[in-house]
Parts: sequence; structure tokens; C-alpha cells
Amino acid sequence: MSTVETDQAVFRIENLSINFPGKRQPVPSPLQGLNLSIYENQITTILGQSGCGKSTLLNALGGFVIGEDSGGVLYRQRYMNGPLEEIVMIFQENNLYPWLSVAGNVKFGLRFRKHDAVDIKTTVSNMLESVGLNDAAGAYPHQLSGGMRQRTAIARALITKPKVLLLDEPFSALDISLKRRMHGLLRSLQEETGTSMVMVTHDVEEAITVGDRVLVLGGNPAKVLVDADTSAGDMRDRYSNAYLQLQKQIEDVIY
Amino acid sequence: MRLPEWESLAPWVVGLSSMALLVLIWELAGTRDVALTTVMPPPSQFLSMVIESDFRIGLGSQSATLDEAIFATFSRVFTGMFLAFVAAIATGALISLSRFATWSLSPLLYVLAPIAPIAWIPTAIVVFGISNVTAVFIVFMGVYFILTIGTLAEIRRVPQEYLTISGNLGANRWQQWVYVVLPSIFPGVFTLLRTNFIAAWMAVLVAEMVGLRDGLGAIIMMGRNLFNNELIMFGMLVIGLSGFVVDRTLAFIGNKVLWWRVK
Repeated sequence: MSTVETDQAVFRIENLSINFPGKRQPVPSPLQGLNLSIYENQITTILGQSGCGKSTLLNALGGFVIGEDSGGVLYRQRYMNGPLEEIVMIFQENNLYPWLSVAGNVKFGLRFRKHDAVDIKTTVSNMLESVGLNDAAGAYPHQLSGGMRQRTAIARALITKPKVLLLDEPFSALDISLKRRMHGLLRSLQEETGTSMVMVTHDVEEAITVGDRVLVLGGNPAKVLVDADTSAGDMRDRYSNAYLQLQKQIEDVIY
Repeated sequence: MRLPEWESLAPWVVGLSSMALLVLIWELAGTRDVALTTVMPPPSQFLSMVIESDFRIGLGSQSATLDEAIFATFSRVFTGMFLAFVAAIATGALISLSRFATWSLSPLLYVLAPIAPIAWIPTAIVVFGISNVTAVFIVFMGVYFILTIGTLAEIRRVPQEYLTISGNLGANRWQQWVYVVLPSIFPGVFTLLRTNFIAAWMAVLVAEMVGLRDGLGAIIMMGRNLFNNELIMFGMLVIGLSGFVVDRTLAFIGNKVLWWRVK
């Protein structure tokens, strides 16, 4: 079980100021002035209405958009000024290269690091086993189900041993039963690897059952409307009082 | 399961039947209309003429065998197309990576692209003489510009996620090009190459007709000069069949080797 280590912030967002290019002048994102910390070794899930800046926040954490000089994102106490190899992102779609097999996709990142061939083979095989895809190693993305594709994407991200995994609604295209299996897998992979994970989602159930901490963003400029510790065991039970109370609290804020 | 077998053979059977029907109509028309037979001799007439001459075309020391003519045309077309393919991808890479290259090369591309390859023939003959280089140059000019514009469009279609992920996983800009952009654009550029093959094929045939002394285009001109309509018809048939075989071969390569599609 992962623990909430509130003193170890992996990201500290200070007075975030992100502007998008506009026709005449830059358009400020809804995240203007946001202050927030995201902690090590846990899954943080982020909820909020469409357009509240969830994905922009994830892009800022990944270093794909950079804040203005007055504030920004600190990754392990250093201001980010671009993407880092130790922070890997997984998207809702277009995650896999269609010309590579499952094994080819999973080992894609290893070719840019120093590994010998035997080591690569063993590492890929172990990783495919952890996500239950050993039998599909030779299959190509168009032959896979949505869940298998996302499992491949997760395996490819984790094989490079990133410090942080950012997930942008990775399971939104999956049906409910597959989604729940993926939640279990993601949690066990997090516990196994200790990777800090930040996941943006629209799904309240997903946010509570997967996350160790749930953040709900809202308003313009955006604020953290709910910040809940969901690491306790009863939060994984969708019928427990703690779960239902939090679900109601979040739904009241969002809807 | 007889039905699926029949379904897989149906395109071949129907395609060959339509060709057989055309030949039959041609042959029947030839028996009734002597004037038509003179201008468009039916296959039975021109094929027997070519078989009698042991597939040797032309007179005396300037004659050549059919396979030499086919080889000459094919080698010109494929060399020109290969060079255009490589050059188009290199230009596309240069333009997409450098703003200076975009500013300097883009206007040239769009000015030169509309010029028909045939229009380059007089200039090419003056510069390169009557040689294989001229034919290869004509093919190159017929394909290169369209292919470069298509390559740029394909590069713009590469999903941003592909680049973000590869960058995340440690690829530098060069490695992103080699391992992500090139495989993403290859199928689309190859399909474009296939659709432009007809233009390249026609360009080289015209070059062979107006200047070069060998190749499939030269067979037609030889037939014209000798007032030999059988030779003209035979040349047209070989050109059509060769073009068809190459198109099918390119389609096969596209489907089997570069089979993936980037959405």
C-alpha cells in the first residue's frame, strides 16, 4: 500500500500562469494563479468539468507548456523548462506506433538507452508478463483490443523506469469491466514500481478507486475545490460510506 | 466452402472476361472492316507478326529484342522514381526541420510543380543529350515535386502524440525522424508514388518517342516510321500490360510491406 508522504512534493505548482496564443493577444488559461503540490510515490487523480484546465495542467507537469516568468511548475524543486525523460505521458489514443508489434512498442524507449540485447529481451518479457501481454508480444496494435493497447502503452512507459507517469484520460474509451481491470493493474504497477502517477479523468469512480489523492479543479481562475486523501482501504469499496460520501461531495461540486 | 473460393477468384474471372470480350469484339470488327484492320490490326494479326520475327523489333543493326526494350523503359522509370522518392523525403525533412529551407524552397516547389514533365524534354535533351540520363531526369521531374508536396502533407499529419511519446522516451530530434516520422510517412508517400507512376510512365514513353532510340516508346515511333501498324498496336499492348504489372507490383508492396496506416 502506498502512503501519502505530504512532505515530499514531486511537483509544486506556484502561481501558475499559462497563456495560449490568440488571434490578437494571448488568451490566459483557466489555471491562472493556481497553487498546488503533488506528492511522490502515489497516484493523484484530477477531476473537473470540461475546460477547467485539467489537460493543460497535465501538459504543464510534462513540461510541454511552460508557465510565464512570474510562476510555474517546480519538479523536485527545480523550475521546469521543457519535457524530461523521467516524466512520461500516456494519452487517450495514438499511444502506439502501428508499424511496431506489442514487443516492438514496449522496447521502443530502450533503444535510446544503453542496454545489451539479452538484457532488453528479458526486460521486455518481464514487463509484458506484468501487464499480462506475453501471449500478444507479436501482435500489432490494430489487432489489439482497447484495453490491450493501453496496457501496451503503460508497459512501454514503465519499462524506461520513469519517476513520474502522467495519464490523460487513458481508460475513457474502455467499457466498464475492462476499465475496472485496468484500474487494478495500474494500482498494482504503482505499488510494484513506486512510480508517482498523475491521472486526469472525467470519471468520479475511477478517480476515487484508483487515486491515493483526488483533486477536483473548478472555477475561473481554477481553484482546488476538493482535495481528498483516498489512500485508505475503504475508498476502494464502491459501497462503503467513505466512498459514497466523497462521491456525493465531488458530484455536488462538479455538477 | 465453395462460395468464398469463388468470391476470391471473382475479380480475376470478371477482369479477364472483360479483356477477352474486348479482344473478341476487336477480332470480329477486324474480319468485317478492312479499313479498321489496316489502322488497328487485331491481336491475332500483330501477335503473329511479332512471333514470326522472334520478338525482334526494328531493322538491321538497330533492331532490339522485346525484353531489351522492356528492360530499358523499366530501368529508366524505376531509377527516376527511386531518386524522386529519396529526394522528396529528403526535401520534406529539410523543409519541416528548417524555417530557412521552408522560406527558400517552398515557393520554388509550387512554381515548378505545375510544369508538365513533357515540357522538360527539349531542355533535358540539350543538357544531357539523347541518353538514359535524359529519360531518368524526365521521370524525376514528373514525380519529384508532387511527391515532395505530398511528403510535406504527410509530415504535417504525423500525430503530435507520436512525437511527444518518443521525446518522453529519450529520442532526440534526429532519432524522432528516423524512428517515428519516417515510418509514419512511408505508406502515404509510397501510395502517392504509386498514383504518380502513371505520370512517370507516360513521361518516359514520350521521351523515348521523341529522342531515345530504344525502349517501349521507341517501338511506337519505329512502327510509325516504317508505316507498320502491327508494330504500333503491339507496342501499345506491351506498354499497357507492363504498366498494369508494375501498378499491381507497387500495390502489392504497399499492402504487404508498408501496410500500416497512421490516423
